[in-house]
Amino acid sequence: MPDVLKAPLVVEFPFTRSLGPVQSAFLTGLRERVVLGVRTGGDDGRVLVPPVEYDPVTAEELHDLVEVAPTGTVTTWAWNPAPRRGQPLSTPFAWVLVRLDGADTALLHALDAPGPDAVHTGLRVRVRWAAERVGAITDIACFEPYDGEAVQLKGNTGQFENPVTGIVAPARLDYTYSPGRAQSAYIHALGDRRMVAERCPSCRKVYVPPRGACPTCGVATAEQVEVGPRGTVTTFCIVNIKAKNLDIEVPYVYGHIALDGADLALHGRIAGIPYDQVRMGLRVEAVWTEGSRYPDHYRPTGEPDAEYDTYKELL
Amino acid sequence: MTREIAVVAFAQTDHRRTSEEFSEVEMLMPVLHDVLAQTGLKTADIGFTCSGSSDYLAGRAFSFTLALDGVGAWPPISESHVEMDGAWALYEAWTKLLTGDADTALVYSYGKSSPGSVRDVLTRQLDPYYVAPLWPDSVALAALQAQALIDAGDTDEPALAAVAARSRSDASANPHAQLRDPVSQGEYLVRPLRTGDCPPIGDGAAAVILAAGDRARDLCERPAWIRGIDHRIEAHGLGVRDLTDSPSARLAAEKAGAFERPVDTAELHAPFTSQEVVLRKALRLGDDVRVNPSGGALAAHPIMAAGLIRIGEAAARVHRGESDRALGHATSGPCLQQNLVAVLEGDPR
Ligand SMILES: [Zn+2]
Repeated sequence: MPDVLKAPLVVEFPFTRSLGPVQSAFLTGLRERVVLGVRTGGDDGRVLVPPVEYDPVTAEELHDLVEVAPTGTVTTWAWNPAPRRGQPLSTPFAWVLVRLDGADTALLHALDAPGPDAVHTGLRVRVRWAAERVGAITDIACFEPYDGEAVQLKGNTGQFENPVTGIVAPARLDYTYSPGRAQSAYIHALGDRRMVAERCPSCRKVYVPPRGACPTCGVATAEQVEVGPRGTVTTFCIVNIKAKNLDIEVPYVYGHIALDGADLALHGRIAGIPYDQVRMGLRVEAVWTEGSRYPDHYRPTGEPDAEYDTYKELL
Repeated sequence: MTREIAVVAFAQTDHRRTSEEFSEVEMLMPVLHDVLAQTGLKTADIGFTCSGSSDYLAGRAFSFTLALDGVGAWPPISESHVEMDGAWALYEAWTKLLTGDADTALVYSYGKSSPGSVRDVLTRQLDPYYVAPLWPDSVALAALQAQALIDAGDTDEPALAAVAARSRSDASANPHAQLRDPVSQGEYLVRPLRTGDCPPIGDGAAAVILAAGDRARDLCERPAWIRGIDHRIEAHGLGVRDLTDSPSARLAAEKAGAFERPVDTAELHAPFTSQEVVLRKALRLGDDVRVNPSGGALAAHPIMAAGLIRIGEAAARVHRGESDRALGHATSGPCLQQNLVAVLEGDPR
């Protein structure tokens, strides 16, 4: 078995999320250094902080916003000696659930404390506001221990100028990707400008790129078979919209190519011919650019077009 | 309930820290072949196939469709997928068999945590408005629950260490387990949880075959009949919940009939030592119940498969005649947010 191939893979999205009326009021409040809860209906009338759009018990829609204090009590905690990317503090801190004064439920956040010995359940804390606030949970920079007076509230009911209506939540995850046995062998061979497929031991079909299993028979493919580098265009499309970060002029043609000897078409870009002259049955061959580990595109070989019957099963 | 449905076969991989030499389908396929071979069934004989996995773990989009290559899904099969632990795929398959649309079902799940940083990956399942932006990792949330249990007097660090030691020691008889020897409790990962209180990170897969009525009796000498199965969920806000209890696990157990008669064995999906404390209380398991003879999730924790493995391990003990009435439990989400309970019984011997 060749060496396991590995490559870094970063999956990163800025999630843009719209807010319901309760979430909007809460996050706008944080921007204005006001903490709001929402009161549930019925006899118990609990105040939920952070507030939610629907009652977690009855599913009733909630809207009765009430201001609570930026001070509160730790209900449980966990000391984090090694902060991770994205977490509220970059120095060791305590994760805490804090029940703010006036609330019946607890809010998750970070507590800035000198060490675990300074933290205990029941500890009194207060919000430390972020210097720049945009209407997000991170407008609370963290909590900090507080043994001062109760804070006077103004009875805010969630009416603000320019309420925030959405958040942008960036998310990034880092992976070290490895493609597995069959695809590693395929990629290794491509580096030598060879296209190596795998044959199913049961139905004898030849798959390229091989994925390690025959999807018809559900058994491992292992027998290696060299295919191509010539093949037939079985179907294609004309791309008219330029992809971000892709240095290819539009329009260009992207097609399914049945490599000679393969029982499944792969796809690739077709160039070296005007886009409006690409056709089904066109004979093409892989083109490697200098130093490339995989074909850059496929170009016409100049052979006569293939008969439809020779590739009709490979569309 | 009008149809008797049983687990008739169970297979799993050896769970390892990494399976980088295999793609997901390459890791999964031997397990599918194993579970089919146990019954003599072929893919074409299976009435319904359901799988559980999450593309976020390995960062590979549509990996569940690639994994289907390992089943042999042509000509087209009746198939479904849940972005959850395979225990929930089993639940879907069970309902399919109940309807009478199928007599047999293949259920499988797999998880490859090795390519990513699973503590961070799991933050993406949290409330995206108030919680996920803080990136509280899975160990941190479990640690908040553990501290709440310690504050409530439900456990202490030596008791948690004992759960860890018992699990790894039981796993010495489980050739598939990732941790098969006692490990040191180690340093605090997130206090009060030490490395020994946390599950190993690893890759693995599992598969189960369900069958109804006489079909089950044909395929298995002693089918593990599913007497009841139910799943329940709690509020997503951690601060709304009592983290020292699991009302959802208790309700699922009640609906599954777990309290009607005592079980002799329980396979609990408790990735953290402290969560076993919660589950023992919620599921009313006495000291006479054999808990996690496989070593449980503390010995092997392929995410998305570890819950299905609990049901599979419980069923396998019924198959082998080592249990007459076993409870299989699976969990999902932070701090035991969602819980599934299955009650399995063997015919009298
Ligand atoms: Zn085949």
